[in-house]
Amino acid sequence: MNQTVTLNKVEQKLRHANRKHARLYLFCNFTALMIISAYSGLMFSPTIQTAFPSGGDSRKQMNVIFILTLIGCVIFTIYAASLFFRHKSKQLGILMALGASRKRLAPTLFREILLLSSLSSISGIIAGFPFIWIIWNLFRLLLIDSTDMQLDFDFKCLPVSLLFFTLVLTFTCFTAWRYLHKTNIMEVIREEHINEPVRELGKWCGPAGCLLLAAGVLMGYWGPSLYCDLANVMLPPAWMNLLYAPAFAGLYMIMLHAVVHGFRTYKKQPYKNILSRSMMKFQGKQTVNNMIVVALLIAGSCFGIFYIPVTAVGSMMKYAAQPYDYFYCYRADQSIPDESTVRMLAQKHGLRIKDWERFEYITLGYGGITSVMEEDGIHFHEEYDRILSESKTLSEDTWRALSGMDTTVRSGTYLCITNQEQTSYSVSPYAEHITNMVSREQIATKYAGIAVSDFSSLTNTPGCRILNQKDYDRLIEGLTDDWKGFIVRFNIDGKDSYAFADELYRLLVGSTDDTCMVTHYYDRVNKTITNEKGDDWWGDQPSEAPFMRVNPKQINSISFRMGWMYHPDFRILNQNDFLLSTSVLLMMFLFIFIVCLMTALVICYTRCQTIALNNRYIFDDLRKLGASPDFLAKEVRSQCRSVFRTPSLVGMTIIYLIFILLLYGNDWQLVLTELIALCICLGILGIIGVCIYLIYRLTVKNIIKKLKIR
Amino acid sequence: MLYVKDLYKSYEAGKNKYQVLKGVDFHVQHGEFVAVMGPSGSGKTTLLNCISCYIPFDKGAITIGETNLAGQSEDMLAHFRNTKIGFVFQDFMLLDGLTIRENILIPRIIQDEVTPDAEELANKLASLFGISQIMDKYPAEISGGEKQRAAVARSLINHPLIILADEPTGNLDSKSSRAVIEAFGEAKSRMNATICMVTHDSFAASFCDRVILLKDGTVYKQLENGGNQSQFQDDLLSAIKKMNMEI
Ligand SMILES: Nc1ncnc2c1ncn2[C@@H]1O[C@H](COP(=O)(O)OP(=O)(O)OP(=O)(O)O)[C@@H](O)[C@H]1O
Ligand SMILES: [Mg+2]
Repeated sequence: MNQTVTLNKVEQKLRHANRKHARLYLFCNFTALMIISAYSGLMFSPTIQTAFPSGGDSRKQMNVIFILTLIGCVIFTIYAASLFFRHKSKQLGILMALGASRKRLAPTLFREILLLSSLSSISGIIAGFPFIWIIWNLFRLLLIDSTDMQLDFDFKCLPVSLLFFTLVLTFTCFTAWRYLHKTNIMEVIREEHINEPVRELGKWCGPAGCLLLAAGVLMGYWGPSLYCDLANVMLPPAWMNLLYAPAFAGLYMIMLHAVVHGFRTYKKQPYKNILSRSMMKFQGKQTVNNMIVVALLIAGSCFGIFYIPVTAVGSMMKYAAQPYDYFYCYRADQSIPDESTVRMLAQKHGLRIKDWERFEYITLGYGGITSVMEEDGIHFHEEYDRILSESKTLSEDTWRALSGMDTTVRSGTYLCITNQEQTSYSVSPYAEHITNMVSREQIATKYAGIAVSDFSSLTNTPGCRILNQKDYDRLIEGLTDDWKGFIVRFNIDGKDSYAFADELYRLLVGSTDDTCMVTHYYDRVNKTITNEKGDDWWGDQPSEAPFMRVNPKQINSISFRMGWMYHPDFRILNQNDFLLSTSVLLMMFLFIFIVCLMTALVICYTRCQTIALNNRYIFDDLRKLGASPDFLAKEVRSQCRSVFRTPSLVGMTIIYLIFILLLYGNDWQLVLTELIALCICLGILGIIGVCIYLIYRLTVKNIIKKLKIR
Repeated sequence: MLYVKDLYKSYEAGKNKYQVLKGVDFHVQHGEFVAVMGPSGSGKTTLLNCISCYIPFDKGAITIGETNLAGQSEDMLAHFRNTKIGFVFQDFMLLDGLTIRENILIPRIIQDEVTPDAEELANKLASLFGISQIMDKYPAEISGGEKQRAAVARSLINHPLIILADEPTGNLDSKSSRAVIEAFGEAKSRMNATICMVTHDSFAASFCDRVILLKDGTVYKQLENGGNQSQFQDDLLSAIKKMNMEI
């Protein structure tokens, strides 16, 4: 007989016997790291970095969901590792009981887990890049393609995955160490069968959880701005994010309720579904953790996908509502193509222009309130400046001709132009002085209300105001051409052509000089005033350049199309360009959706698989006790259902309510476009629900086959 | 050889605390073959697990020979378990991934010295217990009694000084039970091993030198074997009957 049966050989054999569990662990770890690596790879890629304005809301959302995914993956890998160890511990325990010392067992154990973890993690990290590359390029191939979408990688993203990798290693080593150092060997042996009960709270914990969740979301959302108002500071301190904490506690309590009590009352049939309910309770902690993670991930994925209709519906409806096909502004000192040139261009494209009109506007300095930082750098107070910012200005008559409305403006007052929904940020009621920036002629004025326009050229920053004709005539006196401008609008007789719009757009950009290549935030009045005081204007700092200037060479980029102060409203161009110009943003959110949903489904799938793997003997026993295949199949279904259903429902509901809150909260009303977007989101939820249901069915089928029930 | 003094052990399950051993006191002499009997749930397995330090106990002292196991370093403890103790678990605890032969040899494998001697001993024990033909099978492929015999063979492979056996004959027919008891008897006479065996079987117990009756977490009574086996078995049965009457 073979003389060299060594402990190593035996352990090798035991590993072989364990391979099913090892494979599951490899799969989980690989998936988690692939997702992390893909997500971070995309997030840190220059493509995304340039598309997402830093400090902007969409970037914040992207980061929050990334952190969410990260947390999800952490809990998931910890879960996978503990599953692996749960199974492994019986062997360890028996060997220890028979007198194998820790020193003897440690090297092979550590070697095994290090090997498994590193192998799966490293291949996961590497696989993340082709994974994202393929998805991204499929987007480009099938959905939208623009030059902005060229995907580059920046290897600054690697530390995230490596950090995660270290975490995985640390955790698994720590768990192994803990098992080796347990003094209660019987506990190590029985680990697999040991109950992990959850704290049993009363039936109040579900409703209380809902309340806490709602309170957490509301507090987290409004708390910071309330605090800023009360404490007179500009930025809420970072700890204000802790206000969201009750929401997580609430989520925990809801899941606890689902696990401990279920959402139905079983008073009439106390033994209905008793098996699946007791199995859920048996591994209560894991179940609750898993459900929270899945709920959060599903919430994240819905958030990602909701972003698309919410952005798109508003813009699309706005373009459709535009009363004119072409609308643009330009400064009078620019050599912009005149009417006959444009008409000839249209003719070249077989189009005929009608309703051509040109209006005059001027740019004036308006007073306003600034926040002045106090010396402590935290508090601030407000001061009124007579000359603060620039604004386009129309005369009463021009506005009447332009809008067709019979608006009157009393002398000594002004109106602000805003959009239909009145969500424009350029409405400012604080100006009490208006100044001609050349002659420095100044008149006193007062805010007298709003006027509505559908053109973003008039409602975007720096906004546009309307003056009484007499005031206007007085202030235009002595203005040079660079403070004057024109608004042109016309329609196309018949069907419009994208080629014409595009060529006209390029012509406009091409005939505008460098002084006008600025963003909406560039404020000549503010700059002039600051420079006159002998200070450097903040917008001139090199670090601000990306937010202040646009580069006409990047005419196709999002930053140019979204940022340029003189970007025209050409309906057909806007409609066609909307998807292109926001493609990176939309695709990023689509990707977030896919990744989060995928992670959630993988976790659910794994969870169901482990139920099958761990409770195989229960099903065997039940079969021996005479359970019919139908009964067993029903038990499997009900187990899997609880894994999939509650977290999906909770996650979807939460995010839908949060979206209503966001849309309502941004302007304290739900406008038509927002309602339509919400309806679309509801439809999307339905589709996601169907997807989850299909995966659930597949999982059930797979498990029934594995357990040989039929 | 084995001293158990005033041993207390309780389990915690959730909020409840179950006192299982409440001051167990006895000793086993060197080379003595002792049976521990008592109703199911009286704490026999718990007692054996405490003796081999598989589980921590609340109070009391256990010494084997000169050593107090509870005070030993992990390495010493492991070495002691491996070379000095033979343990038969109530639920066998065979490793699923290994053949029966490997399972029997595991205590030797842990020492990394599977000598031809050891293999010969394994074969000898196997033929003694009638499991030679299943040596290359896996635990999942053999019967309960065969597993039990393999577990007993494993406990004897290292020539242990003390054997702690938890119902080693529970699943066996009288012939196999006999073989197990005789193997313990031989370990006792040849190696001067000390044996502490938990059993419900008064016939198996009647082969022992002494029987310790355990009830409600304390030692209820000890009976010495006067030399006449069937007489001893009758004594045992009446003592157990009497014990069960007193509730
Ligand atoms: N890990 C544990 N946690 C909680 N209670 C336990 C645990 N193990 C045993 N018990 C309880 O301790 C008591 C004694 O158990 P033990 O296994 O020692 O009984 P036993 O005398 O060996 O019984 P049997 O003859 O049936 O094997 C029982 O009531 C049992 O319920
Ligand atoms: Mg027992």
